[in-house]
Amino acid sequence: MPHQPAAITVRGLRKSYGSKEVLHGLDFTVERGTIFGMIGPNGAGKTTTMRALLDIIRPSSGELALLGEDPRRGGPALRRRIGYLPGDLILQARTTGRRLVEHYGELSGPVRPGRVRELAERLDLDLDVQIRRLSKGNKQKLGLVQAFMHDPELLVLDEPTSGLDPLMQAEFLALLHEARAKGQTVFLSSHVLSEIQAVADEVAILREGKITTIATVEELRATATRRLRLVAGNTSPEKLAALLQGVPGVARLAVHSVGAAGMVEATGVLEDGVSALVRALAAVELHDLVLEEPDLEEAVLSLYSEEVRP
Amino acid sequence: MKTPGAALPLMRRALADSWRSTLAWAVGLVAVMSLYLPLYPAIGGNAQMKQLLDSLPPELIRALNYDQIATGAGYTQATFFGLMGFLLMSIASVAWGAAAIGGDEEAGLLELTLAHGVSRVQVVLERAAALAVRVAVLSAVVLATIVVLSGPSQLGVGPGHAAGGVLLFAGLALLSGTAALAAGAIGGRRFHGLAAGAAVAVAGYAFNALGNQSSDLSWLHGLSPYHWAYGNAPLANGPDWGAVAAIYGLSAVFTAAAAAVLAQRDVGA
Repeated sequence: MPHQPAAITVRGLRKSYGSKEVLHGLDFTVERGTIFGMIGPNGAGKTTTMRALLDIIRPSSGELALLGEDPRRGGPALRRRIGYLPGDLILQARTTGRRLVEHYGELSGPVRPGRVRELAERLDLDLDVQIRRLSKGNKQKLGLVQAFMHDPELLVLDEPTSGLDPLMQAEFLALLHEARAKGQTVFLSSHVLSEIQAVADEVAILREGKITTIATVEELRATATRRLRLVAGNTSPEKLAALLQGVPGVARLAVHSVGAAGMVEATGVLEDGVSALVRALAAVELHDLVLEEPDLEEAVLSLYSEEVRP
Repeated sequence: MKTPGAALPLMRRALADSWRSTLAWAVGLVAVMSLYLPLYPAIGGNAQMKQLLDSLPPELIRALNYDQIATGAGYTQATFFGLMGFLLMSIASVAWGAAAIGGDEEAGLLELTLAHGVSRVQVVLERAAALAVRVAVLSAVVLATIVVLSGPSQLGVGPGHAAGGVLLFAGLALLSGTAALAAGAIGGRRFHGLAAGAAVAVAGYAFNALGNQSSDLSWLHGLSPYHWAYGNAPLANGPDWGAVAAIYGLSAVFTAAAAAVLAQRDVGA
C-alpha cells in the first residue's frame, strides 16, 4: 500500500482578528483511520481551527494539510473528500431538508443511493419539513446527514453532539465507530470530554488558543486524579499518615481515628499510577479501600484552569 | 464537473428556490401595467388632462418625467418604466441580490455550502447568473405585456423600441441587484446588500430628478444610471447603446468585485 499522508497536519497555526490573536500557534497531527477529539471550553478556538481547516477562514500564519493537500489550494476536489458540520448551525433556509441534502449531494457527490434515507432514519429526522421550522436538535441531525452522506475520507465535526438527546448521541457514536471501521478519519470537537471519551483515540485539549495537552484517552485516564478512601486497623493516624505520605502521587491527605481503637480512616487523592500505592498498602491491615474511577472531566477541567507556567 | 448532476447546480438551486417569488413579481408587474397603460387614451392624450398638467408646478412635472406624457411612448415611460415598474423591479432585484451571498451567509448556509465541492467564485457567478435570469424573465413578461397592450391602449410603441426600452429597464434592475449582491458579499449581511442596492436605485432616480430641474444641476445626470438609460427616451427613439454598455458593464464589474472579495475574505467570522 502506498504511503498515505496524515489526514490532518497542522503546524504553527495562528489566527488573528485585527490585533487580537485567537489561535497562538497550534501543532497537531491526526492519523488516518483515527478519531481525534478537540476538547476545550467555549471560546477556546475550536471552531476557528475547524473553519481554517475547511478554508472558510484563512490562517494568519502556519501550515495546514488535509489529506496531504493545502486547503487553500485543494479547492472543490479536496472538499468533496471531506464532510463538515459547522459549529453554530443556524440554518434559516426556506426549503426542505431533502432538497438541501440533494443540492449538497450534487456539489460533493456521488452519494450512494439510499444513503441519505438510511442516515435520516437512524437519526430519526424528517427530511420533508421546512428547515427553518426544525428544532435545534433536528437541524443538528440534518447537519450530520449532509456531513456523512457522501462517505468522505475525512469528517470534521464541530460540536456534533450539541442538541442531540442521549439516544441520538449513542446513535451518533455508533456512526463514528462505523466510519472508523471503514477507514474514515474523524476530527471532532466538544466542550465536554465525557461525550466523546468512549470513541476518541486521541484528544487535544485546547485552552485560550493553545493546545495544552495531546494524549490518548488512556493516558488522560492514567494522569487523572482518583479519589482515595481507606480504613485500616491496628494502626495509628500518625503511622498511617507517614506511610501514605511516602507514596508518590498521594495528596490532600486527611487521616483520623474512627470507631474502635486502632481503626484509622484516610482520605485523599491519587494523582499518579496505582502500583506504588498497592505495594505500600500490602503492609497495612486493610478493612476498606475505595479508589474511584478517575474523573476525566475533572482532569480536563484542571487542565483548563491550570495557570500557564512560566 | 465530476459530479453526476447537470451543469450549474448553484444557479439551478437559486432559481428553484425563488420561482414562487419570481412568479409573484411577474403577476405584480403585469397588474400594474394593466392598470396604467390602458388609461393612456383617457389621460395622456386627453386635452383636459393636458390643461391640468400645465397648471402643475413645472418642477414637479420634470421630477416625475411627465413632460412627454402626451405621447404613448412618453406616457409608458413616465408611468411604468420610469416609476412603478422601476420601483417594483428594483425592489425585486435588490432583494434577490442581497439574499444571494450576504443573506445566505447570515442564514448560516454559506459556510456549509462553501465546505462542499464548490469554489467561491463559482458560487458568486452562478448566483449572479440566477439573478440575471430572474430579471430577464420578468423583463420578458414586461415586454410581452407592452406588445400586447400597445395596440388596444393606443400607445404606438413598436416592438423594436419596446425591446430597447425593456433592455435598459432590465439593466437598471440588474445594476442595483448586482450592487446589492456585491455589498452583501463584501459585508456578509443582507442589510448591507439592501442598503447598497437601494442607494444605487434611489440615487439614480434622485440625481435624474434633480438634474432635470435646471442646467446648473444637469451635471447630476452624469451620475444617474437612470438618466443614462432613460434620458434619450428609448421608447420613442430606441436605446442609447452606450448606456446599455455602461449599465451592463457596471453590473459585470459589481459581480466581479463580489467574486474577488468573497474569494479572499473570511466567511462567517
